[in-house]
Amino acid sequence: MLKNYQPFNKKKVSRLRTALNSCLKMANNDIDGTVIVSEYTKEKKVGEGTYAVVYLGTKQSTGRKIAIKEIKTSEFKDGLDMSAIREVKYLQEIQHVNVIELVDIFMAYDNLNLVLEFLPTDLEVIIKDKNILFTPADIKSWMLMTLRGVYHCHRNFIMHRDLKPNNLLLSPDGQIKVADFGLARAVPSPHESLTSNVVTRWYRAPELLFGANHYTSAIDIWSVGIIFAELMLRIPYLPGQNDLEQMDVTFRALGTPTDRDWPEVSTFSLYNKLQIYPPPSRDELRKRFIAASENALNFMCNMLTMNPVKRWTAAQCLESEYFKEIPPPSDPSSIKIKS
Amino acid sequence: MFATLKVQLSLSRPYLTRNELQQAYKNTIPDRRSYMQRKLVIFKFMSDICVQFQFPRKTLETAFYYYQRYYVFNKFETEMCHTVATTALLLSCKQVETFKKINELCIVSFRLRNINNINQDIIENFKKRIFQVELRLLEACCFDYRVNNRIHIDEYIVKFGKHLGFTYELCHLSWVISYDILKTDLLLILPQHTIALAILKVAFELLKLKDWPVNDYEKFKTNNDSINEAYFGVLNYYINAFDSCNLKDHTSSKFPPVSLEVFMQLKANSSPETGLKDFTMKETEEDKYLTTARDFTQRERRYVLSSKFVKEENAIINAKKRKLK
Repeated sequence: MLKNYQPFNKKKVSRLRTALNSCLKMANNDIDGTVIVSEYTKEKKVGEGTYAVVYLGTKQSTGRKIAIKEIKTSEFKDGLDMSAIREVKYLQEIQHVNVIELVDIFMAYDNLNLVLEFLPTDLEVIIKDKNILFTPADIKSWMLMTLRGVYHCHRNFIMHRDLKPNNLLLSPDGQIKVADFGLARAVPSPHESLTSNVVTRWYRAPELLFGANHYTSAIDIWSVGIIFAELMLRIPYLPGQNDLEQMDVTFRALGTPTDRDWPEVSTFSLYNKLQIYPPPSRDELRKRFIAASENALNFMCNMLTMNPVKRWTAAQCLESEYFKEIPPPSDPSSIKIKS
Repeated sequence: MFATLKVQLSLSRPYLTRNELQQAYKNTIPDRRSYMQRKLVIFKFMSDICVQFQFPRKTLETAFYYYQRYYVFNKFETEMCHTVATTALLLSCKQVETFKKINELCIVSFRLRNINNINQDIIENFKKRIFQVELRLLEACCFDYRVNNRIHIDEYIVKFGKHLGFTYELCHLSWVISYDILKTDLLLILPQHTIALAILKVAFELLKLKDWPVNDYEKFKTNNDSINEAYFGVLNYYINAFDSCNLKDHTSSKFPPVSLEVFMQLKANSSPETGLKDFTMKETEEDKYLTTARDFTQRERRYVLSSKFVKEENAIINAKKRKLK
């Protein structure tokens, strides 16, 4: 058992130190004349969230461009933020071409820094930029990559719980990377209670809208379905202004679920306040998604099935006929995303 | 101009052997007896907090791993114990998703120590100390979340018990034993599934059942040496600390009668005592990971989980070095 946990290799570290010392020649001078080497440089601030500041930087030993998320440790009333803990916890476990890579973790001046791979843009930017034209084959390619990343999370029993275009980043070679694991958690045991206050409102599955205190990775698939619709429409598909309106918008577009196709859905306390809408006919869907093929509509409808038990899993989505019909998914590196 | 290296790269070693622990404690624990006495007090204190908040066993288990791990790399000071313990619980709550507000934890932490007349200033000062310890604690674990992730000893007992077709009584007895075992160093030495399987074996033998059904430990992703380490760890705990164990207070008719002699007999039946192959003390003396105090003044302290990462980095730096020449 212990052979997997190699002791701290003194010789290697000593060699590493010697080599780093030689690199000192290239390093910057500090104020007191002492030469300082940092493996990571922070070159440009690119964003600031509630719990972190994001910088663009370089890994000195390789010259690789990276993003550094500096966690604001002092500003939180409950210590190190849960989002930072979740991000480290789950990204440490997952290594996949369609999931953002956690390159390194370091402490500097008592601040925690997460080093992530550098990803220049995201799907939200692309959807909003009307100067960028993309084809159904490009959408298929993005959906395939997204589902591969999501499937990898789910088979490792991790729910993302915040999938939206803004969290699907794109690498310079066109690969989609599922990012921001600040709300992620392990798939719960049957008796565990969870908060339903997860996922950005427009991408929230019906069981979450009903306030369910137990749910599964099916909530992520619903979000992927909404993202797919948004990619086809190029506007948000179900943009509710508040939680109550979100239910109305969702059920008006896709029909109010009934006990027949979702047993006991009417036992949710919020159910009685709902207006009952019929599910959309196939023709209505065809009119709404003009460019979608029949297989694309099937694919979307199965991801947007109200009953989470009947909703497709990530594996079923990946095996969908939609991915087998023409046009084939575009080669990620060939998709032009510059306006 | 003089050069100072301000980058420190540490490879995570989430589990250590007994001799490695002994070596590390030489730096951090000047009086082992006082540490052990305090550890039992703290374990009771943490258990009481868990009872107050109705936390599951996994919260206590993770917190006590953190508490013990902290003192492998940080100096033991009696007056800091409760701060470290409360921090360990705070972090554990975040790790196992049983989140509690720090204010609530602080108030209960004070109340259980009979500290009354607390005002907001006292709480704020306590919180500041907790935040400092929280980061030190994570550094002591090298930010390695592979440990204490997902399944814990009590959950493994139920899952393995079900898989092996054991009775409810056997699993219940194992569950009680597993509470006692949290007080030992085993959490720092072996992963949870191995400890759980060894506890099931002890309970199986306490119930005088015949033909232990597990021959191939590889199926359980462990091995003979690890199981023996945990098995004798459990027996030695009861032999050395039977008077303070919780098992003896469980006098259910479904439980077998337990006494010091019963555990001594079990050990005699299983002798010779075997376990993990350990490093010699001389080898551990040369291991700077254990002998050198952590330098928190280093400007950049990096933590990695895989020796592959260190190798790759080494190769890159060596290549650069050759270029410079």
